[in-house]
This record gives sequence, structure tokens and C-alpha cells, in this order.
Amino acid sequence: MNQDIPRIGRPFLRPDAASKAAGLEKYAADHYGEDLLWAGAKRAGVPHGRIRGVDIGAAAALPGVVAVLTGRDVPGTNRQGIVHKDQPVLCDDVVRHCGDPVALVIAEDRSALQKALGLVRLDIEPLPGVFGIDEALLPDAPLVHEGRPTGNTLLQTVIRKGDAEAALWSSPVRVEGIFEVPFIAHAFLETENGVARQEADGRIVLIVSTQAPFRDRWEVGHALGIPMDRIRIVGPYLGGGFGGKDGATVQCLLALAALHAGGRPVKMWWSREENFLAGYKRHAARMHYRLGASETGDLQGLDCRLYYDTGAYAHLGGEVMALGMEHASGPYRIPHTRIEGVCVYTNNPIGGAMRGFGVAQVSFAVERMMDRLAGRLGMDPLALRLRNALEQGDTNGCGVRLTQSTGIRACLEALREHPVWLGREAWKAEAGPFRKRGVGVAALWNAMGYGRGLPDSAIAKVELTREGAIRVYNGVSDMGQGNTSALFQIAGEILRQPETCIEGVQPDTERTYPSGSAAASRTTYTYGNALIQACEELRRRILGWAALMLFADTLDDLELLPGRVRYAKAGKEVALRDIAAMMRDEVRVCISQFIMPVALDAPKTGKEFVIGFPHLLFSHAAHLARVEVDELTGAVTVDTYCAATEAGRVLNPQTFEQQVEGAVAQGIGYALSEAVRVEEGRILTPDFATYIIPGAIDVPEIASIVVEDPEATGPFGLKGVGEVGMNGPLPSIANAVSDACGIEPDRAPLTGERILALMRGDSAASLTE
Amino acid sequence: MEIRFVLNGKETRLDTAPDRRVVDLLREDLGLTGTKEGCGSGECGACAVLLNGESRLGCLMLAAQLDGKTLTTIEGAAGDGRLQALQETFVRCGAVQCGFCSPGMIVAAADLLGEGPEPGREAIREGLSGNLCRCTGYAKIVDAVQAAFETLQGGPNP
Amino acid sequence: MRDVFFPESLEALWPFLVEPSRALLAGGTDLLVKVRAGRADPSAFICLERIAELRGVREGKRDLWIGACTSHAELIGHPLVERHLPVLHQALRRLGSPLIRRMGTLGGNLCTASPAGDTLPPLYVLNAVLELRSRSGVRQVPVGEFITGPGRTRLEPGEILAGVRVEKPAGRQVHHFEKVGQRKAMAIGVASMAALLRFSADGAIEAARFAWGSVGPTVMTCQPAEALLAGERPSREVFERAAALARAAVAPIDDIRASAEYRRTVSGNLLLRLLSLHSVLP
Repeated sequence: MNQDIPRIGRPFLRPDAASKAAGLEKYAADHYGEDLLWAGAKRAGVPHGRIRGVDIGAAAALPGVVAVLTGRDVPGTNRQGIVHKDQPVLCDDVVRHCGDPVALVIAEDRSALQKALGLVRLDIEPLPGVFGIDEALLPDAPLVHEGRPTGNTLLQTVIRKGDAEAALWSSPVRVEGIFEVPFIAHAFLETENGVARQEADGRIVLIVSTQAPFRDRWEVGHALGIPMDRIRIVGPYLGGGFGGKDGATVQCLLALAALHAGGRPVKMWWSREENFLAGYKRHAARMHYRLGASETGDLQGLDCRLYYDTGAYAHLGGEVMALGMEHASGPYRIPHTRIEGVCVYTNNPIGGAMRGFGVAQVSFAVERMMDRLAGRLGMDPLALRLRNALEQGDTNGCGVRLTQSTGIRACLEALREHPVWLGREAWKAEAGPFRKRGVGVAALWNAMGYGRGLPDSAIAKVELTREGAIRVYNGVSDMGQGNTSALFQIAGEILRQPETCIEGVQPDTERTYPSGSAAASRTTYTYGNALIQACEELRRRILGWAALMLFADTLDDLELLPGRVRYAKAGKEVALRDIAAMMRDEVRVCISQFIMPVALDAPKTGKEFVIGFPHLLFSHAAHLARVEVDELTGAVTVDTYCAATEAGRVLNPQTFEQQVEGAVAQGIGYALSEAVRVEEGRILTPDFATYIIPGAIDVPEIASIVVEDPEATGPFGLKGVGEVGMNGPLPSIANAVSDACGIEPDRAPLTGERILALMRGDSAASLTE
Repeated sequence: MEIRFVLNGKETRLDTAPDRRVVDLLREDLGLTGTKEGCGSGECGACAVLLNGESRLGCLMLAAQLDGKTLTTIEGAAGDGRLQALQETFVRCGAVQCGFCSPGMIVAAADLLGEGPEPGREAIREGLSGNLCRCTGYAKIVDAVQAAFETLQGGPNP
Repeated sequence: MRDVFFPESLEALWPFLVEPSRALLAGGTDLLVKVRAGRADPSAFICLERIAELRGVREGKRDLWIGACTSHAELIGHPLVERHLPVLHQALRRLGSPLIRRMGTLGGNLCTASPAGDTLPPLYVLNAVLELRSRSGVRQVPVGEFITGPGRTRLEPGEILAGVRVEKPAGRQVHHFEKVGQRKAMAIGVASMAALLRFSADGAIEAARFAWGSVGPTVMTCQPAEALLAGERPSREVFERAAALARAAVAPIDDIRASAEYRRTVSGNLLLRLLSLHSVLP
């Protein structure tokens, strides 16, 4: 904490960094309590089945067990979900994936809890399940959810622009491809957890690691039949989220446990293994692409079909697919498109929100297709992208006009000038024995905000405290993305107070206001805009009251300074603390709502989407990967990585870079080593020994190039940067590998085994027998 | 059983189950929640602590093994110049995002600071290869460790 | 709740071993992970960390003795190991992570006897001899005879692995270890190879020893490949032939990390890597 005033665009260290580095910041996982109880879920263990019985006798009789609950004990609807309420809190008749919870044990300590969970006997009659997209779409496929008229299809829809079929037929150059990506785990370090307690007056208070405390309250209320105003949810800093804590995880189970805990606090903290078993995942997908262009490289038509596996429950499956479809054409001008999406239920793990929400998948496909097109045309892959790059005023592949800042061209140009790109041939030529080198690029975009159909709204509250400090009531969870930092900077910029006089309150349904989820790259944009409004009003009020106290006849002569207001002409000052003392409580607080603007000329297509389509604001990036492939093992090493990113104006260069570097690292995992492998609905990679995320030696140095293109509607010109970087590494690395070895990777991850097999398939000279 | 050990500079005497995991002893019995748990099986490094000045995984240590030893957690940074230097540089260099890996990362990095001159970025990455971070991409963590070397050696390297 | 015992000498240890349901605890990096996963359920732990006789590196005229409870980190930092046993030093640096290496021990790696144990292939090519002690005495078992299958060793009840004896290789040697994993550190090996080549003065290979990890129920060797190379000058052609023999000798399985076919292919390919070493092919 220092005496400087946090300002926009200037260096500002995160206000939460020191307490986190000291181990003093309390995450939800760090909350225990007097007389604490522990709760845990007994999970199905089979991917599809009918519950014949649940024998809780032995478990309930175990010393140290307070209660064992089943679906019968759930008041309310026993259904949670964000768009579709299809997910039981405790399964009552059918289990649909191995992680489906069937019973809830509450015990005095973790040892009794584990023993009791082992004693709960589930009598489940196995039902045939569906474990792949094609299986699930067969006409006589077993249904994951009975009674649905569309069977296992959650959502099937088409976005059309022009006549893609005709355009492709007449394209002189056409490329085709089928691409597959697996389920992915968020792998946040702090697994799903929370503590809940029922107070004397019956209200339930939860402290949860969550990206959406206000929506959680609604989910819990609906699932358990509790009025929302009888639920309080506190959302401390998260130890990571990335989308996996968007949507109730422990919340409904914990609230249920609290109802049976006799007023004692109950804690639930998923082990890493339970996180893999029961936590949400990035959707697995299969993407069929046909892309046509002229001889000179102008894109003419795109026809693609996207299949998303959403697992056992809808969660945000339709919305993930919708966003994927919206981005399937890449940041390019394509006059004719047909983009079909099929989102399918299976008895696989639940697909939910994850950074790059549907876009990470299609980015792989469209960027591989662009490189193959470049190859067919004999064109430089960067030049091909530049030729077709969208600009402000263009219509994108879905027929939506880009009225706001569109910086993809500038990002690609930044790469074109970069020494890594310019020196690529010389670098490649220096490959050592048994090594091949390649360079690959990818052009990326990612929409911000909720799109249409749901207000992307935030309500900011800022207070002049009695001590004369500024207290910002943050409504949007900080999961490490650093929105709290930006809020300090906004408050400092407008109210001119030093960091030592600014306080932040993290989301709490009792103290802060509904501001939407920490998702969709919106966390600073929407709340930030609301905060600007609130701070400006507070500034006017402070100056107005100071005018009364200083006898100034115009606010123009007054200056807000650290701790005081100065009336320079009269040589007088008044302390903020004294101004606060003169104000009634209601005056010291400013509350303001902001709703993100929406795309007004919605095209006639995409009407089946419940929410989301289309979006107005996009951030952009161009990535460049330099890789080395080991011919003996197929292993891919990323030697250097460059990311040129445009997200409006940069409020905090350090947090901007943090987001870029972190997104690239996660993307490298997606590219090279991560896959939740599922077989017949069972997860074969249930821990960190088998699910491989990048470590410190696996991520190269990342050169982050800032491309600024201030967004008129953004807070001080900002757009969200959290997601776009995630979408780059898989395609840029795949393109680089293709450049290095002349192979066509079309499945992620690009493991050594996969690459070696492709190399052996493609090359006549063999290194082997 | 009773165990006696020095915890963050203080003589400490505790009655505990001998096989209680050190990470549980710290977090639940002593209220020292700075040491985190991310996996429970030694893969992620979030539970790292210093035992007799060297880094260890708190999730794979039993309470009985503390007897007669010196344990330093992230909360005991004031007593260890390496931890203090790293805390300052982690903040300054932007090495903290969600921060859940930070205590374990700082403890593991402290091990590197005890072993001679700054070994270069690659060696620092290797030294931290047992600490998973999902937020930062590691670059700024390496920056912070390099900066801590400078702090402890009294100035920028030539 | 399980008791944890701390015998302070080998003498004090023997009585504890009478109860077979108790588990020996060295670094805990394998045992405690197994206990957490429910794959081991000892009645108590016998912690070896206070038995000084089980730790350290001692140099004899022709060999080194390494105490079984010496941690991997201690061995990496030990000048004698780096100087005389580079192939072991290289493998230790790829084992686990720095935190795991602070805790894990050589003896633990041997007695866990995982097919993927990183210290095992180097100890095979070094012809290590294991010192097994019990109340009744000592016996020496070559490492190649000690491990009988995945997780299975020739340790008798009441017996512990006390130390590992390795002859200091002499002459012009090339030591090489490579591990293929899903990530560069903290990864269970998918295939690994230790190699020890001794060269004669004229640059021909006098003797070769190879051992592969993660491609069989335990460490795999290939005497025909070794015989093929004896007396030969290193060349792509002869190494390709040796690689083909190696591929035929290993017995990998499919598992979640890799297919048997990939492991078999790579086993041979790792031999070719030697050609890229200046010390082999200047």
C-alpha cells in the first residue's frame, strides 16, 4: 500500500498482492469455524443408472456422523442450473454421470466423513449410456434426459449469411478438415469449496469460492425453496476460477447441509480427485469445416458443422456453442457462411464455462484451415490473414456489423514487424540433430459480455467513509484477473485519493450489489463503467458539500486532493473526514447501474439462441509460436511465443500482461498436454499425475505486444482481455508444427505420441523399423 | 503424542495425532492458513513449507516428523530474509494473480536463494518446476525470483 | 490414527519390523500418496529418517556406497555422485520435482520398484549392488535381480535396503540419460533410457550398457544390442540396427500416458539420440 494515487494507465501494483504473498488473504478455503462440521457427497460411480435404493443406515449410525441426506431431503425443486434447471442437487431417480451426487453426509471431522461416505451403499441399476457425439445422436440412442422431444440434442441451430453452398461450389480453392478437441479441466489451485451456517433467525450464510455470488443465491433459492432474501453469499478472492466456478458447485449442497447442522458451520472442500470427477469441464468438440477462397486469397465461403459434447447436464452448453458458432468464421471478412451447431447431451462429465467459452475450440479449426488455405495458395500465412482481416465497419461472418473498436489488423501488423517473424527462416535453418523447427501464427478474437437476451449489468457502490476514505463495494468476483486493481485505479483517477485511503469490499450479497458473474471478459468493463458513474457522482457531491463549507460559489474553483478539498483562491481547505461528518449516511454513498450496450442490428439468423447472440464488443489478438519438434520422440517444445493483443485501452500495463501471459500458458496446456480422457463415461485422468498442466519449464518466455485501440464505450476505453489469449496457442502451435514437419495436426493435444505418429505416417524415410 | 518444534521462530509444544498431516496441523489446528492445499498428493507444491530451512511438501509430512525440528511457514517470513525478499519482489514484479500458489511458490523459491549466485531464468524455472501455477504463466514469477537475488546480493548484477 | 515410530539406529529398527503390517517410511513421496489413495493401509509407520547409518555417500578405492535413506536432492548436490556417476546424476535431476527430490530417497525409489522409477535404469547400467540388511546379517543382491515385477522386490520380511554400492566407472565413458514424459518436469516417465558407453583409445565402443524404464514390468535391458555395438565405431547405421534390437526387447503396455507402440518406437529412438552427443560422434 503506498501514498501514490492510483491512476489510469500508470503502473499500479495490485492492492491484494501483498496480503496474498504474505499468506494472510483468506480465500473461502481458509474459513473454518467454531464447532465445525464437514460435509461430503456420495457420488454415483456409474455413468448412467436408475437409483433403486440408497442404504444410509450404516453411515448414519457411525459415531461422528450428524446426518446422511438423500434426494428426499431436498426441499424446493431439487434442481439447479443457469439456463436450464436440469441438474439435481441430490439425484432422486436417475444418475447421469459418474460424479452425480446421490447422498450428502455431514460429520464431525474429515475422518468420520470419509468412513461414512464409504459406508453409504448405492443400489443403482446400470442403464446403457451414451459416451460420444455420434452415439448420442443415433435415432434409438438411450436418452440422457427422458422425455425430451429433441432426444439428446440440447440445441441445434444454424447461422446463415448469404449462400455458402453456392459460394463454395464456385470457389476456385477449397480446403476441408475435421478437428477434434477433448474435455479440459480448469485446474484452478483452490478447488471447489465453501462454508455455510444457518443463523438463529433461519437465514443461511455461505462463504464460497464462486464467480457469481448473486446468481448462486438465486440458484440455491430455487433448488431448495428458500427465498433469496434469506440467503447471504460472501465471495472472497478466489484461488482461480476460469469459468469452473461459474454456476453452483458446492453451494446447494452446502446450504442443504446447513439446514441440518443445528446452527453449526459446515465446510465442504472438494479434493482434487473430486474436482476432476464432479467439477465442470470445457466442452469436447468435433468441428467439420469447408472453406473456399479465390485464387488471390479472398475468402468466399465457409460451411461448418460444430458438435459440442455438453455431458450430463445443460449448464451453459447451448451458450458455449452459440459463442463458438459466432466465432467460427474467425476475425475475417467472409461474404457467405453457413454455421451449424449441434450441442449434445452424453453421460460424460458436465461441460460448463471455461475461459474462451466455445471460442477456443473453433479457433483451432478455423486457424488450421487458414494455414492450409495459405499452403494451397502458396501464400504467406500472415499475408493471407491480413488480406481478410476484419476492420471496424465491416460485417463479420455472422452478418453483424462491427461498429466498435476492431484491432485485429493492427495485431497482425505488429507480428509482421516482429523480429521473431522476420528472422524465422534463419532460426528454422539452425535446427540441431533430430530436431525440426517451425513457426506458426493465429488470428484471434473473443467477444465480451453476455450479448443479447440478458442484461450485462453491474451496480457499483462507492462510499465516502466517516474517516474520509473511499470504499468501493465490488460486485464482481476477483478470481485473480485483477479487476479489484482496476477499480482502485478508477476510484483514484476520479477521486484523487491515495491507495492508503481506498478500500475494497469483495462481493457479498448483503453489502455489494448484483453485478453479474466474473465471466465473459466483462468483469472490469461493466462494473468499471458503473463505478465511473458512481465515483463521478460522489466527486460532485464531495465538491458540492465542500462548496457549502468553504463558501465557494462554483465547483470549478475546488480541487479534490488526497484527504481534502482545496479552495485555492481563498486559501482554504476542508478535510474529507470533516465533509463526511457533515453528510448524512445516505449522502455519503453513491450507487449507479451500468448496462453494456448491445448489438442493435441483430441479423435475422441465430434466433434459436436463448441468450448470447450476437455480441457487440470483441477483443483481438494475433499470436506467433516458434516451436521445435523432436523427431525421435515427437515432443513439441515452444521456444518463443509472441502475443499482440488489442483490448481497447490498457488501464494497467502489468495486469494486462498478466492476463496475456496466463492465458497463453493455459493455451499451451490445451495445445500440448491437457485432456480429460473419458472412457465409457469414466474419467481416466483423475488427478494432477495424469492430467498434465504446464509447469514452469513448459512455458517459454512470452513477448506481449500491446495494441491499443480505445473503445468508446469502455471505462476509460478498456475492453476485456481475459479470454482472447486462451484461444491462440493451440492453433499457432499446431500451425508451427505443421510448418516444421509438413504434417496436418487435427486433434488436440499435440502430444509426442500423436506428432510422432503423424510424422511416421507422412514421411517415407523412417526412423523406425 | 506431544511434539516440540520451533514454529516460525517460536518454541512450540503440541499434542497431536502422530500421523496428522502437517498441512492440516498448520491450517486447522494452528490457524495458519497461509500454507495451502491444491492436490494432497505432492504434485502441485501449494503446501510447501521450510523444514530446517529446506523446502518440503506439507501434504506428505506427518506431524511426528516435526519433533525436534524447525518449521517455517509463509507466516514466518519476518524471520527469514529469503522469504521477505521474495514477498516484496513477488508483489513488485506482478507475480501474484489469484495468489493461491504464491505461498508455496515463495517457499520453494527460498530454497533457490540459499544456493549460490543467481542461476539464470532456465535454472529458476527448473527450481520451481514442482510448483504449479494456473494464472501467471510463470514469467513474472521468474522475474520476482531474479529480483530477489538482486535484493539479497545488494544490487543489480553487472 | 496410526503410530509413527522413529528408531535411531539399525539395532533399534529390527524389533519394529516384526509386525509386517507396519510400513517403512523414508521420504513418504510414494507411500503417503498410496495411503491417501487407499492403495496402502499400514497399521503404523516406521520412519527411517533418524538412522544415520542409512544416509550419506562413502567413497572406497573402487566404488561408492550410497545410503538408502539419502535424499535425491542430497545426491544431486554431492560432488562424488556428479563426478563418478553422471548417468545417475542426470536421472536424479529429472526425477519428480525439486520438492519431491528434497524428500524422496534412493532406497525408496528402489523399493517402490515402479516400472517408471527414474533411478532404476542408471543403477542397472552401473551394475549397482544392493546391500540388504536384517537382524541376522547382510546380503548383496545385484540390482537386476532385486526387482521382480511392478512394485515387487526380493526383500524378505525383517529385511531393509540399507545401501547401494556402485563401482566407479573407469576409462573413457559416455553417460547419458533421457526421459520422455508428458511434461518437462514432475512427470511419470513414458519411456526412459540410461546408457553407459566405454570407448577404447581408437574411438570404438568397447562396451555398451543400456537400460530402459517405463517399457516393461521392470527395467528392460537388451544384451543383443550391447553385443552388437561392442567393438564398433559409432555410426547411424549400427545404431539403427541396435535400436531395432532394443525395440524387439522391450515389453511396453498401453496405459493412460502412452500406447505400447509409441513406447516401443521411442525405446529404439532414444538410442539414436546418442549420435547427437559430441562425445559419441564428434
